[in-house]
Amino acid sequence: MHHNPISIQNVSYSYPDGTQALNQIHFYIHATERVALIGANGSGKSTLLQHLNGLLLPQTGTITIGELPMTADNLPAIRNFVGLVFQNPDNQLFMPTVWEDVTFGPMNQGLRGEALERRTELALWAVGLDPMRFGKRPAGNLSGGEKKRVAIAGVLAMEPQVIVLDEPTAQLDPRSRRQLMRLLDSLPQTQIIATHDLDLALELCNRTILLSQGQIVYDGETHAILGDADLLEQYALELPLSYSRPYCQLEHAPLR
Amino acid sequence: MLLHIGGFRLDTESDRNTPWHQLIPRTRVLCAFLLVFAIALTPNGQWLTWAVYGLAVAAIAVISQVRLLDLIKRVAVEFLFVGLVLLGTLFRSGGEVVWQWGILRITTEGLTVLGSVSLKMLLCLTMLNILVLTTSISNLLHALKELRVPKLLVAILFSMHRYIQVLVDEINCMKKAAQSRNLFAQARGKRLVIGNIMGSLFIRTLERGEQIHQAMLARGYTGLPPVLDPPLSQARDRRALAIVLILVLSGQIFHWQLRSTFN
Repeated sequence: MHHNPISIQNVSYSYPDGTQALNQIHFYIHATERVALIGANGSGKSTLLQHLNGLLLPQTGTITIGELPMTADNLPAIRNFVGLVFQNPDNQLFMPTVWEDVTFGPMNQGLRGEALERRTELALWAVGLDPMRFGKRPAGNLSGGEKKRVAIAGVLAMEPQVIVLDEPTAQLDPRSRRQLMRLLDSLPQTQIIATHDLDLALELCNRTILLSQGQIVYDGETHAILGDADLLEQYALELPLSYSRPYCQLEHAPLR
Repeated sequence: MLLHIGGFRLDTESDRNTPWHQLIPRTRVLCAFLLVFAIALTPNGQWLTWAVYGLAVAAIAVISQVRLLDLIKRVAVEFLFVGLVLLGTLFRSGGEVVWQWGILRITTEGLTVLGSVSLKMLLCLTMLNILVLTTSISNLLHALKELRVPKLLVAILFSMHRYIQVLVDEINCMKKAAQSRNLFAQARGKRLVIGNIMGSLFIRTLERGEQIHQAMLARGYTGLPPVLDPPLSQARDRRALAIVLILVLSGQIFHWQLRSTFN
């Protein structure tokens, strides 16, 4: 695994309508780190994630993934290095069956035969899905939690060194959310998780980057930022539920 | 063939194990195209030739064990669309006048052209539908690629197929949203809502299509869906091609022999 997989230096990006989505973004991410990316809607989280996989190229500044500078020529290698899990799995699952969808990435990498089968099976097992049971099922007919898992399996099957997740717990019921958090916790890859679920950030990530209007306004210990109610409120966020409840047991809650 | 939005899976009969299914997709495509071109390029009025080709198409339908009802349903929908366009040929001038009403007149020439083109269309649609029913889209596109169809054209076909599903999803979503608010209760309101749905469809699918394309790029998509190593053609593929070729030629020879006998 690369010791310093992501380096972003003074990256800025504006959309064609003139909206400044990223402004002088600068940070490094080290191997096996799990970093939460938080911020209000429109703060630039998704735009930043798309830069990490080369879906958007920086207009100014430089991005280095592993040892590869982010240029059009390096995109195939970069996309093998950084796996991107989209917020809406319906957009990510585009092949007819689960098996075909999970094999899509490794087949684009040139994998065939037994190696392809083994890697697909491992990826499906890693996300807790039985390849025999789920492989032939149409991807569109799965539950929300299962779709999310298949989407992650599709990325894991490419064996990336970095996994980037956009709102991984969005639209999930509590049990699926908990299962997904356990899964993310068990993965050895470097992870960058853009989320509004601050409890997830608190539980999984040691480091948090707070974005506001395309700029980094905080980059450091998760506990420090998520315990600062005033700072969070200033940036349209609030304390995680596990912090905001002033009692430990429900029976200690004040009666109304 | 992409119009069957209700039951979107096109290759509903691709899992069978018949002599037709045992042919590699490239051979199936070649056989179908040979027959389609032969049918379409046969001059108007060669009924006997089409009888031979019709028998060939029927034989393939029987061998491939496609469900007749599915096949007829698909052909009927497509025939309706193209048939409407063809009606104009009925009023073509030339030959004897069979029926006249004002400026409208039906001639023997018009009837021959309409009959010929309708028959060609029916046979071609039946053959192509058998191909689509029995071969997965992925295999079809890769067969086209192996047959040297331009890569860009194949990629466009793949995207079309993928995005029709997006279109269907979005229509269903908006339809449910409208139903839940009772917007389909009155006939006038229904027309209005359908009009608005069609309008929003353009905007929403554009956005959704873009997101799906990004998800494909993120997993290394380079313009064509990946496929396992193409299967090699075997003796049975060569035999099938030879039989189709003989049928195509015999249809033409049969017609000319019969014609010279009567002349």
